[in-house]
Amino acid sequence: MYGYVRPVKAELKVREFEQFRGVYCGLCHELARRYGFAARFFVNYDFTFLAMILAGKERAESCPKRCVAHPLRPVQCCGSCDGLQTAADMTVVLGWWKLADSAADGRGLRALGWKALCRAMKGAYQKAAARRPDFAASVEENLTALRALEAARCPSVDETADKFALILRSVARGEPDGTRRRVLEELFYHLGRIVYILDAADDLAEDIKSGAYNPLMYRFTPAEGKLSQEDERTLRSSLQLSHNALAGAWALLDEGPYSGILSNTIYLGLPAAAQAVFAGTWRAPARLHRERSYL
Amino acid sequence: MNDPYSVLGVSPQATDDEVKKAYRDLARKYHPDNYHDNPLADLASEKMKEINEAYDAITKSREKGGSAGGGYSYGYGGSAYQAQNAGQSQSAGRSQYIQIRNLINANNLAQAEAMLNAIATHDAEWYYLMGSVYWRKGWMDQAGQFFRTAATMDPTNIEYRNAVQYMNQGGQAYRPTGGGDMMGGDMACNMCQNLICADCCCEMMGGNLIPCIGCR
Repeated sequence: MYGYVRPVKAELKVREFEQFRGVYCGLCHELARRYGFAARFFVNYDFTFLAMILAGKERAESCPKRCVAHPLRPVQCCGSCDGLQTAADMTVVLGWWKLADSAADGRGLRALGWKALCRAMKGAYQKAAARRPDFAASVEENLTALRALEAARCPSVDETADKFALILRSVARGEPDGTRRRVLEELFYHLGRIVYILDAADDLAEDIKSGAYNPLMYRFTPAEGKLSQEDERTLRSSLQLSHNALAGAWALLDEGPYSGILSNTIYLGLPAAAQAVFAGTWRAPARLHRERSYL
Repeated sequence: MNDPYSVLGVSPQATDDEVKKAYRDLARKYHPDNYHDNPLADLASEKMKEINEAYDAITKSREKGGSAGGGYSYGYGGSAYQAQNAGQSQSAGRSQYIQIRNLINANNLAQAEAMLNAIATHDAEWYYLMGSVYWRKGWMDQAGQFFRTAATMDPTNIEYRNAVQYMNQGGQAYRPTGGGDMMGGDMACNMCQNLICADCCCEMMGGNLIPCIGCR
């Protein structure tokens, strides 16, 4: 997805860091196991977070594994478990739709590249969608609705964010325990809302330049690619309220072997991401580098 | 009932102080103020009840040892809606507004929204209730806009003003010590001040925004 949902590394215990890397690598291996080598490219931090939440109290065996990124020294990987399998399926579904989106948005050679990728991954997508029909249906429905809002240049941040939030909310749909599902739905909804709004804030300057749709352009009156101080305050206090709801849901859930990492991500990681996005340092040239050097 | 010690997450050998600290930490986490108008408020208050009962059970069983009781008594009087129903919405359709408030309280947002949309004249109360519907839906930005409109149309209404202030200061939630927020710091310092200020205003009106600030 976007990579905003990740723990602050410096605040993790060494044990937690190894656990986190184990889940990330475990998700990558799970993707390869279920959908073939190419599906590994869909692996991301956001779904690593979802895998850890979905795992709940489940504690999977870990075992050392080698891969292309770690050819010499094997990494202790989290073994296959329910949370990881669900996360892998959903990663492929959402990842494929993102590719399809890029293919539809892009121009020239780039679009051709996306289209080729899209076609190459179609088989994996169909397999994943068959395994998670509810989730796939929700992604399709809400992304279609989001496209329509974009085309209509919707001036409401809430309404556009709602569509993406609903996609994440449907991640919880398979949870059998009713109470836990309620809590997860609330947690995921606000997580999705925060991610969507952070992404919009992050893309604002670029979208203004390229003329692409961005809800913040229509909701506020940005000047020189930036929100005014007042507008930024308004936007951030609305983010804060979602973060409150997220924290409230997490407090009711706080459990399982990944509790420390998840708390770090929620209480420190998301605020740090917001801080970086609004300071304009998130998409510094170091972005790619940071992606690689994080683990 | 579950073992009171495991509810508080301490061992039966823990000292009175350790028990009290564990209790206070949990009470801070599940405090009703953190679930103000939150769709999960019922789960938090269940949790709070469980914690209170566990603490009471432990203090009672240790009473001979002379440990102090004194748990929090929150007296959570329902949400703000019920609390201020009286004397509200003098304008046309008052009973309708009360009905809508009840729908919002029952989390029946679709019907509340439909009823609001059927009302032709939009007064301050209409904007406030519409803001409440958006708030419950998680549409925080629009909720803020509607609350602000309500407060501008009727600046004397303390409920509307409190809603705006609550939003502006970024609400309230449990975060562990050192936890960050999404506001970026510059406003966080004012938060306590604003809250205490709002509490004073509230208390003059007979309400109480922060019932237990004295206990902390």
